[in-house]
Amino acid sequence: MEKIDKEKREKAIDLLRSKSDSKLITHLNSCVRCGLCAGSCMYYITMKEAKYIPAKKIDLVSSIYRRYCTLAGKTVPALVNAKDLDESMAEEMIDSLYGSCTMCGRCVKHCSIGVDIPYIVKKGREMLATMDMVPKTLQATVDAAINTGNNMGIPTVEFVDTIKWMEEELIDEMQDDKARIPLDEIDKDIFYTLNPREPKFFPLSISAMAKVLYAAEASWTLSSKYYDVTNYGFFNANMAEATQIAKNLYDEIHKLRGKRLILGECGHGSRANRWDGPNYLKKAYDFDTITAVELIGGYIRDGKIKLDKSLNKELYTIHDPCNLVRNGGMLEELRFVVKSSVANFIEMNPFGNDNFCCGGGGGALAMSEYNDRRLKIGEIKADQIRKTGAKVVITPCHNCVDQLLQLNHTYKLGVQIKTISEVVADALIIIKTN
Amino acid sequence: MEWYKLIAVAALFICIMVFAIQFIRLIKLGVPKDLSKRDGDVKGAVIYSFTNAMAPAQKESAYMHLPTYAAGLVYHMGTFAALLLFVLLMIFSFAGIMLPVFISTVVSGAFLFTSLSGIGILFKRILNRELRSLSGFDDYISNILTSGIQLVSALYLLFPSVEIFYFLTSALLFIWLPLGKTKHLMYFFFARFHLGFFYGWRGTWPQKQH
Repeated sequence: MEKIDKEKREKAIDLLRSKSDSKLITHLNSCVRCGLCAGSCMYYITMKEAKYIPAKKIDLVSSIYRRYCTLAGKTVPALVNAKDLDESMAEEMIDSLYGSCTMCGRCVKHCSIGVDIPYIVKKGREMLATMDMVPKTLQATVDAAINTGNNMGIPTVEFVDTIKWMEEELIDEMQDDKARIPLDEIDKDIFYTLNPREPKFFPLSISAMAKVLYAAEASWTLSSKYYDVTNYGFFNANMAEATQIAKNLYDEIHKLRGKRLILGECGHGSRANRWDGPNYLKKAYDFDTITAVELIGGYIRDGKIKLDKSLNKELYTIHDPCNLVRNGGMLEELRFVVKSSVANFIEMNPFGNDNFCCGGGGGALAMSEYNDRRLKIGEIKADQIRKTGAKVVITPCHNCVDQLLQLNHTYKLGVQIKTISEVVADALIIIKTN
Repeated sequence: MEWYKLIAVAALFICIMVFAIQFIRLIKLGVPKDLSKRDGDVKGAVIYSFTNAMAPAQKESAYMHLPTYAAGLVYHMGTFAALLLFVLLMIFSFAGIMLPVFISTVVSGAFLFTSLSGIGILFKRILNRELRSLSGFDDYISNILTSGIQLVSALYLLFPSVEIFYFLTSALLFIWLPLGKTKHLMYFFFARFHLGFFYGWRGTWPQKQH
């Protein structure tokens, strides 16, 4: 490993010296290393190694805090488990904080104290980002978003082509020229966003959502440049980059004078834009920000769309994206939409706020160096799915979809993976009005 | 006042001062400044965080580890009781009050039991390979001092001759409390608050209904 630049190291340590962040000070001082969080972490459950215990991961960060930011740590470091931030510590941090934690937060709810473990993990990632130690694969994803406007680096021309193609398909299917997928239109009620995996790999999910919006007679638009709901700056924890990505979207909404930002089906994207975005930009948003799940839920509740559950006859189950459910409060709304759309439904065990992460969170999907580990921890999710006997797994997150598709293949589950808009679109009753 | 009592009282004073400084600092910082639009009941969530969310049925750290959870509960009750006993003994010492033998014996028995819970947890830490790898001096010192004060309290209540040992152990504990991981005595409450705030703001606790 390269030697850590002294100045950057100091800047990294400075992140822990904050005297104004009550949450940081609290959580850095709260863990008692009881180790009882181990059984709540999918990494530990599947790998059974001490380095995967959540308390061990955050102790890397808090031991540095004690070393440089507390009197006891400065004077008698060994007594209070205070450690230097050196090359070997940084190496361990990279593997533990980027490669062994999806920041799903399952351990938080079950922690005997209530330590916000992902918060500390993210702070550790922020320290590594400050020292330019983000895994290259993850950094490349962030760079693509900064340089091209979307994390997959899809050229605008290619995106516009895909949207036009989907629009033609939708017009054909609906037999109506009004069944559009608007691009760059101003003064629309809805500014809709996508996970770039949709135009790249799953364009049918775009037309499914467009069908729902058509049925609801929504006034909406996509941007041809800044449509990306994701923010991998949330994962690499480079605050400047996370802020830039959030700002691009914020500015685009204003440019198109959108009234409501609808966060497409993406767990971390929803979290990064709805809960973290205003804090990155240091200003409250002057437009409403809700998820696609809530938008559809509202349409169902208001009678703007009609659904026929019998059109979805198979047995369905839900995979709860951590950032939408446990960290986003969407448990009930997601179930309302699903139960309105399918005839047969079964819960996983555990589910909801206790649900296990699929393994694709935390930027894991972008970090190919940890692929084996990611698929290994996904075994828990695969077992959960298998035990339900469901034929279709619904999840309102394209990163989860990607991981679940890989688990489906690896563990031979023989299920279909669908997004919420796809399931709702399948159940839609289109009422044509003249 | 005897020299060892003076040392213990001075240590307690230092302990209270250090905690008070940390406490005031955190209180002054106030609630987290969140610029996102709140979508839940923060107050309800904070209350839930301190009540139902602490129930053993809600936490895998409790229901998947019932013996450890039960031992931990007893151990913590013992620690708080030992701190309270120290204050009471100082007051009684000034007021010239003697504890009835029956009460001393019962309380001593209770402390013996709680200290054994702490020692049990210490043994678990020493014997379990993974817990051992998580641990450093702080973990052992913190446990030895907190279990120790309970054991010494039990002895002192029965055998006043160990008075010096009791007060010096207390002094050591008071000095260590705000330095070691024992400081969670105070930070625990702030951690539960932040947990409630986080989940409440987003509508996870109590579960948001549309």
